[in-house]
Amino acid sequence: MTINPDEMVFWQWGILSINATIVFTWLVMAVLTLISWLVTRRLTSGPDMSRWQNLLEVLVTGMRDQIKEISHQQPGKYLPFVGTLFLFIAMANLLNVVPGYMAPTGSLSTTTALAICVFVAVPLYGVMSEGPVSYLSHYIRPTVLMLPFNIIGEISRTIALAVRLYGNIMSGTVIVAILLSLTPYFFPVIMQLLGLLTGMIQAYIFAILAMVYIASATSTQAGHQ
Amino acid sequence: MDIDWITVSAQIINFLILVWLLKRFLYQPIISAMDQREQRIAEQIGEAEIRERKADEAAAQYHEKARMLELQRDEIMAETHRHAVQQKKQLLDEAREEVDEVREHWHRQVQLEKAEFLDDLRCQMSNVLQKIARNALTDLADEVLEERIIQAFLNQLTALDDESRQRLLHAADTSEPVRVISTFTLDTSTRRHITQMIHTHLKEGMVVEYDESPEWLCGVVLNVGEHQLGWNLAKYLEQLNEQFEQVLVTTATVSPSTSAKKLFSNDLHTKG
Repeated sequence: MTINPDEMVFWQWGILSINATIVFTWLVMAVLTLISWLVTRRLTSGPDMSRWQNLLEVLVTGMRDQIKEISHQQPGKYLPFVGTLFLFIAMANLLNVVPGYMAPTGSLSTTTALAICVFVAVPLYGVMSEGPVSYLSHYIRPTVLMLPFNIIGEISRTIALAVRLYGNIMSGTVIVAILLSLTPYFFPVIMQLLGLLTGMIQAYIFAILAMVYIASATSTQAGHQ
Repeated sequence: MDIDWITVSAQIINFLILVWLLKRFLYQPIISAMDQREQRIAEQIGEAEIRERKADEAAAQYHEKARMLELQRDEIMAETHRHAVQQKKQLLDEAREEVDEVREHWHRQVQLEKAEFLDDLRCQMSNVLQKIARNALTDLADEVLEERIIQAFLNQLTALDDESRQRLLHAADTSEPVRVISTFTLDTSTRRHITQMIHTHLKEGMVVEYDESPEWLCGVVLNVGEHQLGWNLAKYLEQLNEQFEQVLVTTATVSPSTSAKKLFSNDLHTKG
């Protein structure tokens, strides 16, 4: 039984390979994009709107409100990044109910990739918000002695982000696999439901933590405002 | 727990593509649609506020107009009431005047009828009395009535007291000749006798003129200025006439006033 979707390779040419992680990532991307396109194709700004538009508006408004609550800033520039993190992880975990599907977030490669994105995005937003000097001066506060610890803290929290998501999702898959061999039929279904809940919570935690890191990097500017 | 770095880089690229795709197909359209809706709602609220303000102004104008109309109505009502009261008073005054006129006219009519009646009565009474007196005197004695009248006149002249005599003489000083007026013709001997008696009892040599006046009914009178002496049936008739008038006035003052009151009240009822 394959637990890591990286190991399920569909096509390989030299070192380049297309494994299940990439394929199911594309699937999640396709689903998200397709739904968005279908719904936003016929948007109305009047009082009469479709249920799907209403759903997406609720979703977007909820994400904006969360970002605003955490950062105390206008959510416009953070929404695409943080919102996509949440939607991608949530949809990747949600599709776990489909037989034969393997969540890309169950691969450490995917979670590492997302954590690296956050790792890069935090200083980028910080520099965009405060300027390079002001942002980099955070690392030598309160003293220069704290510089290595600050850098270690940055790296460790990135790793923690990646491993937390991976561990939660992968463990769900593993538990189901183990339970299937021990108690088939009904019990794995309950665990599957629990896995859905866990997946949603992890998506929320990942996105919120990313936003907290970004907000801490831009908080000085916001404090000035 | 191994990490495939090629997969990692592919996932990074995938994620970045997904960010772009969702930004293009999800966030921008949804946010712009919501912004448009908010803007439209804001516009509608603004328009509604403008309409409400206009409606308030219009309502205030209508209230003001209604108040003015009410004031005008009150003024018109007051004016009408005043006019009606005035007209009522005028009509009442007119009615009273009319009643007064009717009463006055009626009163005059009564007075006229009374006067006519009294004249008529006096005339008839004098005729009757004269006839009765004549018949009575003729029946009582052999002398004719004129002789008794002349005798009565001469008796008065003879029995004249000093005060009356002095008054007559004083009057005769300013209006001589004195006049003896009779209702019948006096013959010459009678005239001479009368003149002689006047000279004897009043003043010697007084000029005496004789005259006839049939309207005196019956009698002989000596006229000296404003003073008279003699016997005349007209005098009795005048006394009788005065008594008649007194009786008639007493009865006439009761009946015309009650009749006029009745007439006045009837007139008011018909006009009111």
